Amino acid sequence: MTAADDSGGAIGRENLAALEERLREATETLDAIRNGEVDALVVDGPAGQVVYALENADRPYRVLVESMKEGAVTLSGDGMILYCNEHFAELVEREARQIVGASLFDFVRQRPELERMLASGDAGGSAELLLLAANGDDIPVNVSVVELEIEDGAGRVFCGIITDLSHNYARAREIADANARLADEIAERARAEESLAIALDAADMGSWDLILTTGEMRRSASHDAIFGRKVPAEIWTLDTTIDHFTPEDRDAVRAAFDAAAVRGRVEFERRIVREGDGALRWVFVKGRTFYGERGAERVAGVVADVTERRLIDEQLRQAQKMEAIGQLTGGIAHDFNNLLMIIGGSLEAMSRGASFDDRTQKFLGAAKSGVARGAKLNQQLLAFARRQDMQVEVVSINDLLPTFETLLDRAMGEAVVVRVEPGVGVWRCKTDPNQLETAILNLAINARDAMGAGGTLTLTTTNVAVTEETATRWETNPGDYVEVCLTDTGSGMDAELIARAFEPFFTTKEIGRGTGLGLSQVYGFAKQSGGFVAIESIVGRGSSVSIYLPRSDAPLAAPRATSAIPLAEPSNGVVLLVEDDAEVRAASAAMLEALGYTVRQAANGLEALASLAADSNVALVFSDVIMASGMSGIELRRRIKAEYPRLPVLLTSGYTAHLIPDVDGATPVLHKPYTLDALGEAIKQAICSRPEAAATPV
Amino acid sequence: MTGSQPAEAERYVLRLFVTGATNRSQRAIENLRKICEENLAGRYDLEVIDVYQNPDAIRELQVVATPTLVKVLPEPLRRIIGDLSDRERVLAGLNLLPVGGGSESAP
Repeated sequence: MTAADDSGGAIGRENLAALEERLREATETLDAIRNGEVDALVVDGPAGQVVYALENADRPYRVLVESMKEGAVTLSGDGMILYCNEHFAELVEREARQIVGASLFDFVRQRPELERMLASGDAGGSAELLLLAANGDDIPVNVSVVELEIEDGAGRVFCGIITDLSHNYARAREIADANARLADEIAERARAEESLAIALDAADMGSWDLILTTGEMRRSASHDAIFGRKVPAEIWTLDTTIDHFTPEDRDAVRAAFDAAAVRGRVEFERRIVREGDGALRWVFVKGRTFYGERGAERVAGVVADVTERRLIDEQLRQAQKMEAIGQLTGGIAHDFNNLLMIIGGSLEAMSRGASFDDRTQKFLGAAKSGVARGAKLNQQLLAFARRQDMQVEVVSINDLLPTFETLLDRAMGEAVVVRVEPGVGVWRCKTDPNQLETAILNLAINARDAMGAGGTLTLTTTNVAVTEETATRWETNPGDYVEVCLTDTGSGMDAELIARAFEPFFTTKEIGRGTGLGLSQVYGFAKQSGGFVAIESIVGRGSSVSIYLPRSDAPLAAPRATSAIPLAEPSNGVVLLVEDDAEVRAASAAMLEALGYTVRQAANGLEALASLAADSNVALVFSDVIMASGMSGIELRRRIKAEYPRLPVLLTSGYTAHLIPDVDGATPVLHKPYTLDALGEAIKQAICSRPEAAATPV
Repeated sequence: MTGSQPAEAERYVLRLFVTGATNRSQRAIENLRKICEENLAGRYDLEVIDVYQNPDAIRELQVVATPTLVKVLPEPLRRIIGDLSDRERVLAGLNLLPVGGGSESAP
């Protein structure tokens, strides 16, 4: 043993050590396996080495698969679900145990797609499909399928990963919604711009936008139309704009635009020569400067053709001028009437009851006729000043036409053909027929003078509805009017002439041929009737003057009762004369005395009342209406009516007769200057028509 | 004492066989890294082999279970099974003296 030990000692010891080592390793391995210190065993199998993992070795993979945020399934070749993770179960909203064993086809809407993927073999496939949830919802998912390599002989097995795309879809929807909102906003903005364009169009305005760096201008179609371009221009620069203005206005326009960068705005009203028709038009340009980082960048604004507005303004100014002239004329006429009153009254008083030789009689006659002419002229002045006494009544103008025709025939003479063309169903209107007759006669005389070699004068009547716009232009009210139009074929008038035609004393006739008051009377009469006058004329072709009288629905006035007042009252008694102008008072007193009355005089209303208080035995109070100081004749009449109800009061005026409030409805007003006869007549009528005159004679 | 001399000069070739990402595999990897860094810094090559991914590698080294550490070089070939948490055993298996000396191994 020892020998054997010795002989084999070296080798044996070596082998023994190796064997001991091997044994120790084997023991350790067995201990480790027995103690569960290993994860897997490696076993030699028929097809090579196979790793048998112990249960806990697979756990991390299971956890990984279970906790991943994708659905995971394993499928048999025909699509049966062999395994599904928790997330897949959540996706289809079922318990895993209800899913395993079912077919994936039951959970997918697009069967053909899935079939194709399973058929494609180990290459697998991927597609977006709709997954069917328990509540019937469709869940968009991406499904990718891979065939798993398993042991030979086993059936095919697929692994599928299902990714929920709902979130992606929701995001896509949000983006789509945001896009839609943006599109809506753009559309809304476009609508706003469109509304602005409509508003500008409605206001006949054009818009423009000038880029200062390039001088280019973006414009609306109506902008170009205002400058006379029916088809908008291709290119338009600031110079294009400037070139459209009249040569004398161009520098000012350029300066206005140049200053816009500094002033922050541009605004002017200048004349352009319109393209196409070459018409001279006024345009209004207004804009605002827009600033960027490098100072002024753009000027944008609007443009409008204001020619019509300026025309209306001009007419308004003209109307105001006429009004002013009217005021002035009225004032002059009043004073003038007082002067005529003094002269006329004195002459009348002088010639009453005295006898003169023929020569003196002749001069006296000439002086009286001068007063009469002055009085007539004054009437026309008052007519223009609209201070005439209007005898307004409801009339049918067509009924008056035969009278007018006769009048016109007589006034026109042989060379002029007079045609009267009454309109059909012409409305009634409210006017003074006598003054209308005068107006037509005045117009006819002008027409005759304009048709030196003869022609045609046409008188027409038409119903006209006056619009707001026309009414504004003529400073009147819109509504229904009757148009009385006189048209001649004479020399006509140019615009300048038309503008001044109604001014008093404006005449184109030679000195001595006309007073320049004819058209003024027409103007004043129409205005006083609540209407207006319009002239249209073409030089060389003729003129047409239209008087517009407001329509009235009131019944026609009954024919005026002729005065049947007995003039039996004696021309005696006391007359209290109230007049502030001493000279007029003296003339009037002389006339009253000439008529046989005893005259008591008062310089104003208070004096008159004091005089009556002292002695009220008076047949009549004869008072001026307008007195420089103190109470007016109207106020005096009111006071007398209160204190002495039966005492008649006769008013006289050279002015504003129609403005007197008609207190008792019948008080006549005697116009200055009056003749002795007219005074006598008026006094008698006033005394006879006094209240309760018959019952209690004075 | 004598063994430590050649060990100083020689380069270590080590293979660690594991199975997937189990806790034990993880522990084995961590333990081995620590031991190598402390005792063999700069003179070892370590390969960690997942037997799932590379089953053929097991055959030649006759690994029967995982985790197993195989000291390929220096010879002799030596296998250590388990999670390598027994430091003494690992050092012994690798023919390395513990850094702290024999006194610590007595208790």
